[in-house]
Amino acid sequence: MALIKRLYNWLDLRIGAKEIVEQELTGYLLPKNINEWYSLGSVLLVIFTLQVVTGLLLLVYYVPDAEKAFKSVTYIMNELPYGWLIRLCHAVGSNMMVAVLIMHMLSTLFMKSYKSPRELNWLTGFMLFTLVQGISLTGYLLPWSQLSFWATTVATNSAAAIPVVGPYLVEFLRGSKLVGPATLGRFFALHVGVIPAVIAGLIGAHLFCLKRTGISTPPFGANTETGTHWSPEHYRYESHPGGIPFFPNYALQDLTSISVYFAVFLAVVFFAPNLLFTPDAFVPANAFQTPAHIKPEWYFLANYQTLKIFPSELLGLSVQAAAMTFLALLPFIDRSPERNPFKRPLFLACFFGGFLLWVGLSVWGHYS
Amino acid sequence: MMMRIKFPRTLLATAAVLLGVGLFCGSARAEQPETVCIQCHGSLPDRLGAPVKLWRTSVHAENGISCNACHGGDPKDAADAMNRSRGFLGAPKEADIPAFCGRCHPGVLKDYLASAHGRALGKGGPTCVTCHTNHAVQRASLTIINEKTCSRCHSFERARVIRDAMQQTEGSIVSIDRRIKTYQSQGVDTERLGKSLFAVRNRFHSLFHEVSVTKVQGESAQINGELAKLDRDLKVIEETRAKRKVVGGIVVAGALILAILFHLLKKTYDEK
Amino acid sequence: MENDGRRKFLGVCLAGASAAAAAAVVYPVFRYLAPRSDQQGSNKIEFAESDLPAGEAKFFEYAGSSAVLVKTSAGAVVALSAVCTHLGCIVQWEKDKQDFLCPCHAGRYTPDGTVVSGPPPRPLAKIPVSVANGKITVG
Repeated sequence: MALIKRLYNWLDLRIGAKEIVEQELTGYLLPKNINEWYSLGSVLLVIFTLQVVTGLLLLVYYVPDAEKAFKSVTYIMNELPYGWLIRLCHAVGSNMMVAVLIMHMLSTLFMKSYKSPRELNWLTGFMLFTLVQGISLTGYLLPWSQLSFWATTVATNSAAAIPVVGPYLVEFLRGSKLVGPATLGRFFALHVGVIPAVIAGLIGAHLFCLKRTGISTPPFGANTETGTHWSPEHYRYESHPGGIPFFPNYALQDLTSISVYFAVFLAVVFFAPNLLFTPDAFVPANAFQTPAHIKPEWYFLANYQTLKIFPSELLGLSVQAAAMTFLALLPFIDRSPERNPFKRPLFLACFFGGFLLWVGLSVWGHYS
Repeated sequence: MMMRIKFPRTLLATAAVLLGVGLFCGSARAEQPETVCIQCHGSLPDRLGAPVKLWRTSVHAENGISCNACHGGDPKDAADAMNRSRGFLGAPKEADIPAFCGRCHPGVLKDYLASAHGRALGKGGPTCVTCHTNHAVQRASLTIINEKTCSRCHSFERARVIRDAMQQTEGSIVSIDRRIKTYQSQGVDTERLGKSLFAVRNRFHSLFHEVSVTKVQGESAQINGELAKLDRDLKVIEETRAKRKVVGGIVVAGALILAILFHLLKKTYDEK
Repeated sequence: MENDGRRKFLGVCLAGASAAAAAAVVYPVFRYLAPRSDQQGSNKIEFAESDLPAGEAKFFEYAGSSAVLVKTSAGAVVALSAVCTHLGCIVQWEKDKQDFLCPCHAGRYTPDGTVVSGPPPRPLAKIPVSVANGKITVG
């Protein structure tokens, strides 16, 4: 212990470590009524790191070639010691990332933390959401199984509904008329190079916004103001005098949430990995044989069902685009300062209505 | 010129169908456009229409083997579909039946011709369709050897001994096949196991046309040995998976313990 | 200071649990990345004797490394490691001179691996080889 203290002192004399700790950790005060939902951001950071690490490990043995991709994944899953574990962690982790991201966004919506001055936090977060969908979609093709091949065929095909440029856009996305080796090449580059770099950059921007605006106060609990008191005349950091310190108090909450997450995540990895894999995931891609009942991943089921219920694909696509745009621009549309959802019955109805609609469409898509 | 363009396409379709059969073992039904044979005969009465209905229930239909695969002719040209110049063969005479089926099943033909059944061909002995029926032919299994079918020609005694010798083997082939398929659908690489089972099954099936009791009993014993080896390999997979579940339990419990410890430590700071 | 004792106890528990968790992460990753021993197994390799005329050499992969098979003009068959004992370059067979030359620093070996000239400190390692029924078996 004494040694650690001496090392800390040594560091402090040179780079002013104590000042940073005082400012960013022990003196970084958070609202007194902060709740567990605020730790989901830390959980997401851990998930993203884990995806990067497991992804790099998979890269050691994965071969991005249409002839060899499926075989290399089979080799990782069956021959390499613990290859199955690393691959399952990556595959299950991607689903978990989407699920936790949705929870993070729902809690932000419910507590109305997106309101000004936090429009940029919401926008960067929303962009991260679409990028995570993109990285999931591109990664889905890489094992080159029947499931990944045909799911990608269906997913890329929906762009054909866009007028004029649609058919060419589909061909551009695929790099060829149909999904094939050219598609694997570009999806691989996007999945391991482009999208992770952009995600990392946006995470930086998201955290920067968070640090500059300060943590939002939850709009409920005893003796708290529930409105935003931000005046658009000048920049103001939202500080929380007398609040609870980030370190050690909230850091321990983060670690608790991360541990709970790991328990759930590992339970899926070890006991129910086949929640994610249909038998088609273990048959190599065959461009001449469409399997029956091809379905997208669970988080795309609502989009899939929306496309199906509208008479024209263009209409279905437009409705989705409108919904996504509405969500992205919500902080500019919902301008009332009141943040307590229980004082905004219309908002509350829309929140639960929208969520139930999404769940309903997903379930319908699953069984249709 | 027209034929030249058409030919590769049919070849491709056939190749795709064969590939599909090989990969999915009949789990996926091959979709094919209706041939003119079926369009016409499907609506004809009695003797001319019955084969279509029977065929629809057959293993041939399941694998996309249509009328023309056996009977020849042109399935795309209604006017000349049954023209001899287009390769139409019609129905074979009784003595020609084994050769007719043997075009696609040469191994079985050889086994059959070498057996007592085949040696009696043309002398009142049975042909393929006697036991397998013609249009409604099913995937062959041991149930074909039964008192009703066999005693049409001779007593069931010897046939029963043969069937009983093969019964246990058939049962373990079916169960090992099911286990391999289950693991395959869960991501286990079963290629090697599948191939050895395929070889064992073929060896076993070549016994189906053998009517010598001692030979059937001797071969069955060897095949059972091979199957026992496969069974051991599958047991190893089972044990590995069981071990992973145990490790998984420990790991999940560990994560929960961490969560509890972190939570308790947090509470010591909250109480301040 | 009841809290202090509790904190110390929880801290020790957490340190132990974290160490176990770290080990549970590091061990699988190490095993995943460790070179596979079965890929470097010294399986026997067979060649047809007719594939190797007298005075010729044949390079091949053996036990995860490069090896060479020579039939001297006298007809003797020798199997050697093709890795130069100096700095690990792969030696080359010089048919006209009937010896091995390492192109990196001009080390020279006889067909049975003995150093003739140059910097190599040791002869080329010998690999067991046998000839029977027109077949050369290495290993």
